[in-house]
Amino acid sequence: MVVKISDNIVSPLGLTSEENYSAVKAGQSRLSRYEGKWNLPEPFVASLIDREKIQVDGHYTFFEQIVIKSASAAIAEAGIDPASPRVIFVLSTTKGNVYLLDNGITDFPDERVLLGVTADVVAKHFGNPNKPVVVSNACISGVCAQIVAMRLLERGAYDYAVVIGADMQSPFIVSGFQSFKALSPEQCKPFDASRRGLNLGEAAATMVLGAKETDGCWKLVRGAIRNDANHISGPSRVGEGSYRALKYVLGDCPADEIAFVNAHGTATMYNDEMESIAVERAGLLDVPVNSLKGYFGHTMGAAGVLESILSMRAIDDNTILPTRGFENLGVTHNVKVSNTIGHTEKKSFIKLLSGFGGCNAALLFRKEEQK
Amino acid sequence: MKHFVVLNDKSVMVDGVPMQLENQGMAMLNDVYRSKIGDYPKFFKMDALCKVGFVASELLLKAETDSEISQRKAHGTSSRAVLLFNRSGSLNADTKYQATIQEADNFFPSPAIFVYTLPNIVTGEIAIRNLYYGETNFIVLDCMDLHTIAEQIANAFQDSETESVLTGWVDCYDENHFEARMLIINRNEDILNELNKIKQ
Amino acid sequence: MEELILKLKQEIIEALNLEDVKPEDIDENASLFGEGLGLDSIDALELIVLMEKNYGIKLSDPNQGKEIFKSVAVMADYISKNRTK
Repeated sequence: MVVKISDNIVSPLGLTSEENYSAVKAGQSRLSRYEGKWNLPEPFVASLIDREKIQVDGHYTFFEQIVIKSASAAIAEAGIDPASPRVIFVLSTTKGNVYLLDNGITDFPDERVLLGVTADVVAKHFGNPNKPVVVSNACISGVCAQIVAMRLLERGAYDYAVVIGADMQSPFIVSGFQSFKALSPEQCKPFDASRRGLNLGEAAATMVLGAKETDGCWKLVRGAIRNDANHISGPSRVGEGSYRALKYVLGDCPADEIAFVNAHGTATMYNDEMESIAVERAGLLDVPVNSLKGYFGHTMGAAGVLESILSMRAIDDNTILPTRGFENLGVTHNVKVSNTIGHTEKKSFIKLLSGFGGCNAALLFRKEEQK
Repeated sequence: MKHFVVLNDKSVMVDGVPMQLENQGMAMLNDVYRSKIGDYPKFFKMDALCKVGFVASELLLKAETDSEISQRKAHGTSSRAVLLFNRSGSLNADTKYQATIQEADNFFPSPAIFVYTLPNIVTGEIAIRNLYYGETNFIVLDCMDLHTIAEQIANAFQDSETESVLTGWVDCYDENHFEARMLIINRNEDILNELNKIKQ
Repeated sequence: MEELILKLKQEIIEALNLEDVKPEDIDENASLFGEGLGLDSIDALELIVLMEKNYGIKLSDPNQGKEIFKSVAVMADYISKNRTK
């Protein structure tokens, strides 16, 4: 059995999980419109971390600093020794230090743009002797990293895993999504009839996971990664990969035990439609669905970790969080998208993600009664 | 017999036997595509990393199909995972994309390049080609560490639907520096022992 | 117009990496998407970039593309009427 021991979120809404959860529950967001930012010709709406709030250390890039800040907090709370050979670091990121490719930026060695090198820098910061694993599986990386860690712990390869999901925004990523016509000119509206695309966001989120001997009441029950085998950027029209992932993680768990499905819900036309199809096919139309993108934007490599942590906090608080930005259902199937704070006594939820490359991931979490 | 493919920018070997080739680099891969594959025009739209991984996977699966056991049986199921590793991530596509946005007066971000700025796209290309609905994942390491790779392959079999894993090292630093080492590992095989075949 | 159509065909082949396709293989009146050249959604986005880069035409709504990218002839007609460079 693999359990969550501690967690942390560094985002524009706060520097701890608690601050982030309270802000979300209060309906807050730092999604703002940026004009002329980074000399980009087109304006965009994003949720960006105030660079001044993060302690500056010249040895580390901003990306590495948010990773270290978040991981330090979670490790301290867990009370584990990060330098132990029984601890493995798993980093989830899509673009890491990609901003260093800009010809004008020369503060760091070229190879720091490589994800394995930046992960090594982080692991060395904590004195960890093992080779860190970087999961770079597009927007589902955050759930994949948890699945990777979970399996290592289940097999007894390590006692603890520090799973960190993080991405920072840069002209590289923003212009790319603009060229894809995927960005909303306004705050995103997941599952809404008038949704116009996604907003990008930045965050670092960490979970320390442990094998069964350790205390903790949040259990990672089952995870799955499945491919649509359809198109490298467009989601499956029949929700194939997400459906298959949902079906696998549900196993023999009855749908009425699930408090909610925390969807990817990026607010692009195709993603939300695809998820509604997958949820319907998996027999989950009666289960509430929410998306947290309206609070943080799409935080890419951080999303899977950040959204899992907040969903756990919500159940700790017997709450189903509302989908900020959602008003009128705009997908084919009648999914129960939550738009107000709901109450639940149920103890399980599913985190669902999908990404470029046709990949999809789902993870079932359950809160066990504390003994 | 266990099949394996080892290729780089200068040579291509299937089961340790080198192919006779005239060119090097991307031109060599295009030649291999034309002479051994040839029915998939989408190949020319792929970035270099995807071309490297795609050609390696096609040669590997062709060797499997030509042998007694048809390994293309995984078609249309979740039973085969695609799990690849490298050091450079999507660096080659990243660099090419950066060039489309580097100059303010020549700022034309290319969506066709941007889509390849994720290393896992190659796993998607292989899944699409072979209709694999199983697990696909991409892991970046700072070097080809077989112990870590073996651990991750063992991980993939913890998904009860996974019966085999198409796996290996697929790295593309730039269009003239790349390598692929690929094989299929089945459930219950000795992973580290199998990986030794692609080590040399 | 003949000249623009030929130039456009060459630009499309280059921008979309249509290896093994020659300008004379493209029927300027045939549909660009679906059958024929087998173009997809990423190609459509890349054509939007081509329009801006080579002809100074900005299409902000990708849905506009659906009409304009019907065929090379339709594209050429639109370009000749709207080009700024």
